Amino acid sequence: VRCQHYPPLRALQASAVLRGVSDEHKKEPFTSSSQQQFDPHPAGHQPEQEPQGPHPSYTGQGGQESEDYESEEQLQRRILTAALEFVPEHGWTAEAIAEGAKTLGLSVAAAGMFHSDGSELILHFVSECNAKLSELLEKEQKLVQLGEAEKKPTDEFLRDAVEARLRMLIPYIEKWPQALSVLLLPRNIPSSLSLLTSMIDDIWHYAGDQSTDFNWYTRRAVLTGIYNTTELVMLQDSSPDFEDTWRFLENRVADAMNMSNTASQVQSTGEAVVQGLMGAAVTVSNGGIECLS
Amino acid sequence: CRGRALLSRVRGAPRALRGLAAGPEMHFGFQSVTEEERREKIYQVFESVAKKYDVMNDSMTLGIHRVWKDILVHKMNPCPGTLLLDVAGGTGDIAFRFINYVRSVREQQLQRKLKRHQNLSWQEIFENYQEDKCNSLGDSQVVVCDINREMLKVGKQKAQQLGYSEGLSWVLGNAEELPFDDDKFDVYTIAFGIRNVTRIDLALQEAYRVLKPGGRFLCLEFSHVNNPLLSRLYDLYSFQVIPVLGEVIAGDWKSYQYLVESIRQFPPQEELKAMIEDAGFFKVDYENLNFGIVAIHSGFKL
Repeated sequence: VRCQHYPPLRALQASAVLRGVSDEHKKEPFTSSSQQQFDPHPAGHQPEQEPQGPHPSYTGQGGQESEDYESEEQLQRRILTAALEFVPEHGWTAEAIAEGAKTLGLSVAAAGMFHSDGSELILHFVSECNAKLSELLEKEQKLVQLGEAEKKPTDEFLRDAVEARLRMLIPYIEKWPQALSVLLLPRNIPSSLSLLTSMIDDIWHYAGDQSTDFNWYTRRAVLTGIYNTTELVMLQDSSPDFEDTWRFLENRVADAMNMSNTASQVQSTGEAVVQGLMGAAVTVSNGGIECLS
Repeated sequence: CRGRALLSRVRGAPRALRGLAAGPEMHFGFQSVTEEERREKIYQVFESVAKKYDVMNDSMTLGIHRVWKDILVHKMNPCPGTLLLDVAGGTGDIAFRFINYVRSVREQQLQRKLKRHQNLSWQEIFENYQEDKCNSLGDSQVVVCDINREMLKVGKQKAQQLGYSEGLSWVLGNAEELPFDDDKFDVYTIAFGIRNVTRIDLALQEAYRVLKPGGRFLCLEFSHVNNPLLSRLYDLYSFQVIPVLGEVIAGDWKSYQYLVESIRQFPPQEELKAMIEDAGFFKVDYENLNFGIVAIHSGFKL
């Protein structure tokens, strides 16, 4: 779910170098909101230069390109994925993107396609993590449906989902504060906010939330709060394997569960109090009438 | 390659008025000349202005051309190790800026590396210094290519004066037929030069040829001002002031008359963008500077 608009896509006559490169840097292809419907090229493509005839100079719209062609968007995504391995060293910068492009056999100048502050790289990373999380949750759900696993209680489910998602940050944890600050730039807020909300929505969906009233909003707001605060705690946690963070997460989720119990308790107490008062008022008025008669 | 040229020539026919004529008639400023004559005349123009080229640039644009060229190099954002081809780069303005930029980026890189290596022994630090001293440019190189010998001469003199020696080479060549192999360069720039190329489509094709896959094409050139008020002022300034400056400072009215006319004859932003796409570049975009007086076009070979 990316709020970026790409100009109408044209078939890229990717050079043999691009097509021949193996998929070692590429993670599992996700069902992202791509406008093209063709498959990524198989890894074992023979690295021969095909004759470069005149290619269409206007939009080849309609996803009927042959498998040899790759859209600009796909190529950009490949570059960004390749760039991720250089992030721990160079940070979320154009340098990391340039190194990524180099591993794909492209010139370092290809990094000029992206913003110099690394926004696209970070957004790409976040959306990939979200997609991985969705896959994970879906697999779990299938197992439960097939009866091979127990359905987890809500608090445990939320805890595990948030932990799984935050663990994806561990390789990049040192440079993550930089990424967060870039995500908060006004230019990026629409995209980063929509990625965050769709992730939280996903988690609640797989947790089995089917509310149609105001609960829908409160649940998502609460989980967003839990996620953000846990993320911040994780950034300055130095315990082995982030134990402190997971404990913090457990406490917050427990708090949230208690809060919803308390809320319903408060409601029923309130009802009881009101009933008591009504009863007292009726008694008093009855007694008063008796006195008068 | 021939086949491609024919194809784009056919496509370029409707643009005959803009000088990509299917026939021999071309424009030289507001005059009508043949291709050969045009090349000759342009060569003579630059031969005569070469010595005063920089001075005239400063006085005509009130020094703003320096800012434009800075913006171009900033947009390029080159990292150390980049190979740049600066075509029609005559007096070396872009090349020098490129070298400065790469040097400062390299220094920052080295500082960061040193900060990380806090626990090195003295021997290791010494070795680090040694290898980085001889590599202040990080293997970046710029090749300045120009068709005009006089302009190259002026450029070489400037380089000597300013102390640029490393990573710089000067080559005599025609933008329509570059003397380089395929897939060589990371970035190709042409600043205020493509206007003087007789067959722009050939130059763009050559640019595509010599760039590596992933390489970037950058073109800085005078362009079309949309704003009507500004356009009137700009025309006034161009036709009344610039040739006079040319006569007073360089003693050459005609060359600067040509300059101003050639700006008017050059295709506007969208058309140039279409031509660049025709040559095979992707993600072609342009950025207007000063309301369209100057535009930077960028494209990638993907």
